[in-house]
Amino acid sequence: MFKSLKSITLGAVAAVLMAGVAHADVTVYTAGPQSLIDKMSEGFTKETGIKVNVFQATTGKVMARIEAEASNPVVDVLISASWDTATDFEKRGWLVKYSSPNAAKVPDFLKSDYAVAQGISALGIAWNTKSGTPKPTEWADLTKAEYKDMVNIPDPAQSGSSFELTAALAGQDEFKLFKDLQANGAIIAGANAEALNPVLQGAKAAVFGAVDYITLAAAKKGESVEVVFPASGTVIAPRPAMILNWSKNQDEAKKFIDYMLSDAGQKLVAAQMLMPARSDVAADRPLVSDLKLLKFDNAAVYGKRKETLGEITKIFGGK
Amino acid sequence: MAAKSVGGPAPAAWLAIAGLLLVVAVPFAAVVMQGIFPDLGQGSFAKPFSSFIATLNDGALIGMAGNTILLGFCVVLASAVVAVPLGVFRALYRVPGAALFDVLLLVPFMIPPYIATLGWIMTLQPRGYLQQLLGFNLSPFLFSLAGMTMVMAFNTFPVVYFAVSRTVEAVGARYADVGRVFGATPARAFWRITLPLSAPGLAASLMLVFAAAIEEYGTPAALGRRAGFQVLVTGIDLRISDWPIDLPGASIMSLLLVGLSLVTFLGQRWILSRRSYQTVNGKPSAKDKRPLGTMKWPVLAAFIIVSFLATGVPLLSILATAMSRTISGGLAFDNMSFDNFLQVFQNSAGALGALANSFSLGIGTALITGLIGVTAAYTVVKTKIRGRLAIDTLTIIPNALPGIVVAVGLILAWNMPWLPATPYNTPFILLLAYCCILLPQTMRYSTAAFQQIGDNLEAAARVFGASGITAFRRILLPLVFPSLASAMLLVFALASRELVASVVIAPVGMQTIATFIWRQFEQGSIGLGMAMAFIAILITTLLPLVLLALLRRSGLVAE
Repeated sequence: MFKSLKSITLGAVAAVLMAGVAHADVTVYTAGPQSLIDKMSEGFTKETGIKVNVFQATTGKVMARIEAEASNPVVDVLISASWDTATDFEKRGWLVKYSSPNAAKVPDFLKSDYAVAQGISALGIAWNTKSGTPKPTEWADLTKAEYKDMVNIPDPAQSGSSFELTAALAGQDEFKLFKDLQANGAIIAGANAEALNPVLQGAKAAVFGAVDYITLAAAKKGESVEVVFPASGTVIAPRPAMILNWSKNQDEAKKFIDYMLSDAGQKLVAAQMLMPARSDVAADRPLVSDLKLLKFDNAAVYGKRKETLGEITKIFGGK
Repeated sequence: MAAKSVGGPAPAAWLAIAGLLLVVAVPFAAVVMQGIFPDLGQGSFAKPFSSFIATLNDGALIGMAGNTILLGFCVVLASAVVAVPLGVFRALYRVPGAALFDVLLLVPFMIPPYIATLGWIMTLQPRGYLQQLLGFNLSPFLFSLAGMTMVMAFNTFPVVYFAVSRTVEAVGARYADVGRVFGATPARAFWRITLPLSAPGLAASLMLVFAAAIEEYGTPAALGRRAGFQVLVTGIDLRISDWPIDLPGASIMSLLLVGLSLVTFLGQRWILSRRSYQTVNGKPSAKDKRPLGTMKWPVLAAFIIVSFLATGVPLLSILATAMSRTISGGLAFDNMSFDNFLQVFQNSAGALGALANSFSLGIGTALITGLIGVTAAYTVVKTKIRGRLAIDTLTIIPNALPGIVVAVGLILAWNMPWLPATPYNTPFILLLAYCCILLPQTMRYSTAAFQQIGDNLEAAARVFGASGITAFRRILLPLVFPSLASAMLLVFALASRELVASVVIAPVGMQTIATFIWRQFEQGSIGLGMAMAFIAILITTLLPLVLLALLRRSGLVAE
């Protein structure tokens, strides 16, 4: 015990001394799962000898940090959980053009000149199998009396993919589905993890539009929870990786993207229950080709973001 | 009064001013500048004040501000109702097992509010632990203003309890006895003598509770949103985490919060300035406590119930969650295991490193805020130098700045390209953030302590030839040390669990206890997060107790 304490102390001191000096390391800001980026950095360092500095938080917190750092930025590679970030940063002229040789097997809709997906998550219904409710198969099922007061909806203002799902579904029927959900006692319940937790304990039966990989990982650990992808369609959230144009370590950054898209890197993605970006890497879960995707006009949807969120607040917030 | 002639304030004042400038003024100035110049992050001073109108015109703002004040008052009221009677009984009477209750009522300090809230949710929601054990749930109550008030009050009332029990103890016996000699009834002596003289401690602690309540993020975010109850801090957080990020808007809303906090603070000053509260004058005072008599059982029951609700329920809920193999498995014997605790000790996901980081930062923060706090308090209370109101104001600002805004201010201030050296992206930036956020704690406690010390004590020392520094070190410091030490222990506990600023500002690759727990929650590993939380609570509770025991043995702190 004493020995480990001593090594921790030494490690902490070393970390303090080392933290200030970043030489030819690559600094990655990621909204992805911590364990994924930890394993990916470890593998990358082993292969190339380049050290990776990681900052991990939610997309919002990562963006806040980049925005506050803007006059003297330190981030080389950014992995966001929302493709919207890549579009926006490209518009601002903050990104470097790069096509990794390993991106050849990444389908076109998951890459642009400036960004490429690390992996993809999809939204589905997370349903507690012991909740005593029938298994839902469609979004609209959750408006039925069996699910009265038993449905959580992740806050579309706090998650890019939830917003896209909300906008796509609301566009089909002028928010009728959401009005029906509200009438059935569904509530907006914070960010993704916050919405899922009550479903695990059984306080709620289902999450309307849960991020699939967190739920699949929970199921793998033995939680009695299942993901349902409605046949009428859902949305996916590719997680774009991009290189920032102020990066002083662009070669290292490019090598990191290459590693992320290599067989080894994509296997790590699959191990997190995310869909790999490359179509030729297998995963133990439904893939993009197995899902029906809702059709919506991305630009139009994001153009009306404020109005859509306002309408949702009006439907669910009015207490 | 005599302080000016007593003299010798210079070293303390300069130390306090330098510390405050570095720790508080720099990030606060950055926040103000960001509010005025929206493009400050890009190093541009274009379009000054353009964000004010857009932010202040937001129709939801008045509702959020109103909710913030309402929640603050409810929490203050609830904390006072719970803590003042207990504190008074603890101070004036021999409560059986008093030392044990002190420890039990200390624990809520050590439970991070977001963890306590999650513990309450998992206990009271449908199919939560309460329903699994007793067959009913209190979900409608929990997700309401009343529920939020309860959870937050149980988290903050120890501030009031300890302040009241210490000050009433110091004031109580002697002055009230004088009143009794002159024919006052016990009740009259309490209402007319003990309570008014204890006002500095009580007012200071209630103000801390109010400031903590309006600044708290975790509980309103988890409980309030579901009740449609938005407060300023959740609004600020939304502006910062919702793309496109609105840093100027967040800064302006934070300034509103700072304004609110300053109003409370000025109110407290006004109450205190109307009379003198000096009760420590060097004369010996007997600390004989009275027996409770027939009130013994009701008082004991109150202590037990409050301890159980404030400490027992959250701790048991955290422990149950940490020991569950799966959350959906519930409280079943075959679902219990120590796997999550083993994972922490096997350093899974860097758990041990996070513990070491947080505790080193906590100790550093306690030492620095202790030093700045005690010198600043001395300067404000015991000297007459000009600008001491400014010093006092500066120490109150961080109380109202949400952690996330402090973090943004620090990044803006310390990441400017022309700085030759910067603490940004090193652990020292976390130290700066914690010192800024927690400085009000040591400052307020030391101020209250200094206000109760008669000026003649320092003057007497000077008459007998002691230098200003010697008088401070040998007379004043030992007298305020008990208050200062408890404030520093509190700072240690709060710093080692700070979440909101840490999430944004942590240097790359560094984890603290709170960011570790938060990441586990984000990934759905609630059990591992709770195991870490339980271990951290144990350590933050036991470490100060051991320290206090050692200090007592060496005679530095009175029993």
